[in-house]
Amino acid sequence: MSLNEREDEDKHTEDKERILMANDRKFNALFDYPDNSIKTSKYSLFNFLPMNLFEQFQRLANAYFLVLLFLQLIPQISSLAWYTTVIPLIVVLSITGVKDAIDDVKRHQSDKQVNNRSVLVLVDGRVEEDKWMNVQVGDIIKLENDHPVTADVLLLSSSEPYGLAYIETADLDGETNLKVKQAISVTSDMEDNLELLSAFNGEIRCEPPNNKLDKFSGILNYLGVNYFLDHDRLLLRGCIIRNTDWCYGLVIYTGPDTKLMQNGGKSTFKRTHIDHLMNVLVVWIFLVLGAMCLLLSIGHGIWESNKGYFFQEFLPWQHYIASSTTSSALVFWSYFIVLNTMVPISLYVSVEIIRLGNSYYINWDRQMFYAPKNTPAQARTTTLNEELGQVKYVFSDKTGTLTENVMIFNKCSINGKTYGYSYDANGQCVPVSLNNKVDFSYNHLADPKFSFYDNTLVEAVKSEDHFVCLFFRCLSLCHTVMSEEKVEGKLVYQAQSPDEGALVTATRNFGFVFCSRTSETITVIEMGETRVYQLLAILDFSNERKRMSVVVRTPEDRVMLFCKGADTILYELLHPSCASLSEVTMDHLDLLGATAIEDKLQIGVPETIVTLSKAKIKVWVLTGDKQETAVNIAYSCRIFKDEMDEVFMVEGTDQETVLQELRTARKKMKPESLLESDPINICLARKPKMPFRVIDEAPNGDYGLVINGYSLAYALEGNMELELLRTACMCKGVICCRMTPLQKTQVVDLVKRYKKVVTLAIGDGANDIGMIKAAHIGVGISGHEGMQAMLNSDFSFCQFRYLQRLLLVHGRWSYNRMCKFLSYFFYKNFAFTLVHFWYAFYNGFSAQTVYDTWFITCYNLVYTSLPVLGLSLFEKDVNETCSLCYPELYEPGQHNLYFNKKEFLKCLVHGIYSSCVLFFVPMGTIFNSERSDGKDISDYQSFSLLVQSTLIWVMTMQIALRTNTWTMISHAFTWGSLGLYFCILLFLCSDGLCLMFPSTFYFLGVTRNNLKQPQMWLCLILSTVLCVIPVIGYNFLKPLLWPINVDKVLERIHFCLKHPLPLPVQAKIKHPGLRRSAYAFSHKQGFGDLITSGKTMKSSAFKTSKRPL
Amino acid sequence: MEVMPQYDLSRLPENTALKQQKLPAHQLDLSASVVLCIFFATGVFCLCMGVVLLLSAKSTKELEINYTNICANCAQLREDSSNFDKECTCSVPFYLLEKMEGNVYMYYKLYGFHQNLYRYVLSRSNSQLLGKDIWDVKDCSPFQMSHNNTPIIPCGAIANSIFNDTITLSYNLNSSIHIKVPMLKSGLAWLTDKYVKFQNPRTSDLASVFAGSAKPLHWTKPIYELDTDDPGNNGFVNEDFIVWMRTAAFPTFKKLYRRLKRVDYFAEGLPAGNYNFHISYNFPVTMFHGEKSVVLSTLTWIGGGGIFLGLTYTVTGALTLLASFAILTIHLMLKRTKKSFL
Repeated sequence: MSLNEREDEDKHTEDKERILMANDRKFNALFDYPDNSIKTSKYSLFNFLPMNLFEQFQRLANAYFLVLLFLQLIPQISSLAWYTTVIPLIVVLSITGVKDAIDDVKRHQSDKQVNNRSVLVLVDGRVEEDKWMNVQVGDIIKLENDHPVTADVLLLSSSEPYGLAYIETADLDGETNLKVKQAISVTSDMEDNLELLSAFNGEIRCEPPNNKLDKFSGILNYLGVNYFLDHDRLLLRGCIIRNTDWCYGLVIYTGPDTKLMQNGGKSTFKRTHIDHLMNVLVVWIFLVLGAMCLLLSIGHGIWESNKGYFFQEFLPWQHYIASSTTSSALVFWSYFIVLNTMVPISLYVSVEIIRLGNSYYINWDRQMFYAPKNTPAQARTTTLNEELGQVKYVFSDKTGTLTENVMIFNKCSINGKTYGYSYDANGQCVPVSLNNKVDFSYNHLADPKFSFYDNTLVEAVKSEDHFVCLFFRCLSLCHTVMSEEKVEGKLVYQAQSPDEGALVTATRNFGFVFCSRTSETITVIEMGETRVYQLLAILDFSNERKRMSVVVRTPEDRVMLFCKGADTILYELLHPSCASLSEVTMDHLDLLGATAIEDKLQIGVPETIVTLSKAKIKVWVLTGDKQETAVNIAYSCRIFKDEMDEVFMVEGTDQETVLQELRTARKKMKPESLLESDPINICLARKPKMPFRVIDEAPNGDYGLVINGYSLAYALEGNMELELLRTACMCKGVICCRMTPLQKTQVVDLVKRYKKVVTLAIGDGANDIGMIKAAHIGVGISGHEGMQAMLNSDFSFCQFRYLQRLLLVHGRWSYNRMCKFLSYFFYKNFAFTLVHFWYAFYNGFSAQTVYDTWFITCYNLVYTSLPVLGLSLFEKDVNETCSLCYPELYEPGQHNLYFNKKEFLKCLVHGIYSSCVLFFVPMGTIFNSERSDGKDISDYQSFSLLVQSTLIWVMTMQIALRTNTWTMISHAFTWGSLGLYFCILLFLCSDGLCLMFPSTFYFLGVTRNNLKQPQMWLCLILSTVLCVIPVIGYNFLKPLLWPINVDKVLERIHFCLKHPLPLPVQAKIKHPGLRRSAYAFSHKQGFGDLITSGKTMKSSAFKTSKRPL
Repeated sequence: MEVMPQYDLSRLPENTALKQQKLPAHQLDLSASVVLCIFFATGVFCLCMGVVLLLSAKSTKELEINYTNICANCAQLREDSSNFDKECTCSVPFYLLEKMEGNVYMYYKLYGFHQNLYRYVLSRSNSQLLGKDIWDVKDCSPFQMSHNNTPIIPCGAIANSIFNDTITLSYNLNSSIHIKVPMLKSGLAWLTDKYVKFQNPRTSDLASVFAGSAKPLHWTKPIYELDTDDPGNNGFVNEDFIVWMRTAAFPTFKKLYRRLKRVDYFAEGLPAGNYNFHISYNFPVTMFHGEKSVVLSTLTWIGGGGIFLGLTYTVTGALTLLASFAILTIHLMLKRTKKSFL
């Protein structure tokens, strides 16, 4: 009874907290916690069909065809056999269904594999092996080194001192560096004592399952004492135990409740401009369809009352038709069915297939494969391809994206003497070469990958120069690097930031080897001599303080403070004898030295940026780094050029100044843009509610803009954002520095909102995720800063320079292909469908179709699908070399010139013209006509056959004209489909088939009788000529009479191809090797907290621990 | 791309032409000369074709006599369907100015008769006409059953509305001698229709097989009495019936009725002179404002005397040639400016 009450109460409070008791399955079973099996699969064998169909019919197009199918089943309005809709619908649904099924089978397999992994569970005082899926909330499990964590567990104890456990969270957040978790002391004391562990009966009250990876709060009640639990105690499912022999954990969240699974939700779905356009166009088509049906039903009403009424002797009205009005109301729907092919059923499926194909090209591209990391480019989202061909703004991170983010200890200055330049025998400074590389063989712990070119520093170390030794001692002590000795004598460092790793590695090579650390000691081998420093305090690095300090007690019992940090910050703290006076801290520090760490530009970055800017793509650098560094990088990667008219700096620290600076810049670039007569100002004066499109403004020269984070905070506020946008968009290059991740997102969003152009964000770090998600296209560089950016991106690759290939080659082709596909696809369906419209005027608007029902069924699906797929997978208007050499070719995509509403209307007009030709030429041919033997040719079936053959022929010629690149596959698809049509036609009209199903196939012998007739072929040729010749003429005259920029480039390319001249070679851009100094903003907080937190429990740890530290 | 050999290249994409988008291909380059060639060639071809077609069409002879108004009294009689059993004949005299050489074909032509209405076209039973399942009338709405609920053979609106005028032609050698022009009632329908699509039930006695069925409403005699003289032309395989069952695409159409049997006087065709059409007027057209006529025609390789194809080809050819001259002019005019980029 009491248990029941308890249960009720808990059900009531379930939303608020979770209660569980260790080692008490009975108690925990009251709460119906899920078991630890996971199910990422969506379907089972039995529910696949209904669920998948339900999902598919939620898509508008599929639902439309389902409605259509039901309309067709109503005999009063049915004007087409049911199978004309059913067969295409089934094919479309099954293509998608098969794709879904394959995906789901994969998920089933991985689920099964994961659920059946074995884990060690503590049962009745023994550790037993069990399957993952059998683990339950409240169980205590044993995890071993290099094993994945089974569920979200509370760390109880581990093999490491202080109950520390190291984990890798690559599966969870993509970061590959180690993280440390620590058990609370009361549980870590139990160590691996199974008796204690199985007697552990702590009760835990914690928050209900949620998806916040870095948040957890709960209370452990054990022996009447409450202990607070936070996320540092929790090992999350998906992590991997590292450097820890074993650890015990209490299962808190299982299976679907784990944070990993709670995070499995699909991220926001990006849609391309073309998608939106397509939806608008489909609505337009619906309107046109409705209008046509209305027109035809009115026509029907008139015809029925004028003629049909008197024709009843031969064809009486149906009993339910009271008047011609009723009849015309019904015929509206009949025509709705007949003309349904205006909305092409296979449009969406085809678009998906094309995008998928073009995504695979990106994955397959060897030239975007980065050999050193064995990583190919990856299209993680397969629905955005054509948008790659329309990018107007690129927002790039700096560190790790433009630069390599490989920190190299390059130079240092110790006690006023600079080291790092390479000298020859005569003391002359010479360029770095392998010959004068410093030999570190005296130090067996040296990292062989490290290289340094100034022997004077080594000599200084060897001569035990006081300052040099102190300098390196500082570097070897003042850090939060974790060391690991995997193989005897081989140290591996785990650093939170590459800068720190570079410094410690350099120090190690010079003979100050950081060996290991505990929470209160640091062991360093200084020139072969092992010294243990007592660690008294660590003040970890933070972005606000931009420095870190340690206080240590040397073996000589001296207490020393070492501090390292950003130059600007440290200057303020220095002893007056070292730098200008400052009264900030109690004690002034002595300057030991300065380090110079180089982060090289990635290969090909300046060339890429020059190419992109030739393609009229604007590159903005959004970085958290300091201004000087960012500007230097901007110059060296050619975003800013020396020949620029001016580079504006916006550095104001209050709203007024920032506004003034922005206005001044704009006044300089385009004085008239401040006048009230400026179109944008007029537009602004009207105070539109909706975000409107800010048109591009042309400045009177080349300008650059640098704006820093403080000023940006003001500039992004309410009414200032348009000022910022207008000024920034007039500049050739924009650098935003000292930015927070949120500001990056805001800037991307600003441009996206007001410019209505395609934006692309590219970055490599966790601080870029916001902008990667906000931009139309997010590109992740899989670099050194974990894989978080990559995991959130739509496309990923290793090097910035691949961006030009992604945009100018893949993007451009995808865009061109998609546009060609769409315009052809709409055209072919208009030409196909509108023929019925013309025929209506001759058949009393009775919803009689021109074509055989089987032709209607197969037209989109069989006869015309392969050629158009071939076109949209293999078409290239120019080859990739030209795409890269003439970036101007990229421009039409940015303005969406190849497929827009105007182009759609052209398709419509072209379709109307073609349908006229396709209807009236065959009509003229057979009207009142006969064969040379006097027999019938003007019958309905012959007419139908003639029109459909002509249609297929014309469509084949049209696609042939649109195909620039003829591969074997194009030939096979195009001509093969034409051949296939005639084969299927012969089959459909064959005696055998028609005799077997006389009421379904009734075109018996029509093919044989008609294809022998010269009229038929003459009609076919004439129609083709009439449809094709104007197109050839138009295509030829259009670039001559109404040229757009790209036409001239294409002309030049064609000319060059015919008269082989050397193509303009991309000039290699020389850039000076720029160095950045000081700490990068990307520097993250280190392990300081954990190291020191170990210290707080020093006493208790010592009491119970049997192993010496 | 040069790849350092020491790297792990396990994920390097395959170097196939398809995956690298380097399939061997040739470019379709419609340069000025190619476009001009296409235009000129097409223009010349169409023009020539057009002239040939026009000349061929001109070589045929055709004579059409609309007898809707000539036989007005019969037409009026037929407007009342209760008079279906009353005979009405009508004689239409005419004078053939020039002789018609070669094979002469006689057609009946209907104006404003919609054989292409959606419900009309479907109202037939193909399996019945195949002789397979003669009682299958399910597709024949609204003419499935007769009033006393017996299935109609042949069922359906198409069969019901068959053109049932009989037309005979007589040649007036002089005022007293009237010779009946010999006509063939075979070879009117497609061979596939005659021998495959339409088949009688396999029996020697059609009447007994069809016993228990009703004849279509408008018919005066049952299907098995369409041609009692020739069993090969009786029942479903009667050629007039087959010709009618091949529904026309447009409301104005003509259907082959008889072929001239070239014997005696008519061995070389129809000589010029006075003729007479004797029409047994059964088919009502005036009530739906239709018209009917009888057509005599000779044919050539391209069929009858329709000039649509010839005319369109000629016009297309002429326009294409004009366009090609225009394009040539534009091309030459712009050639100078085009070269400017060099």
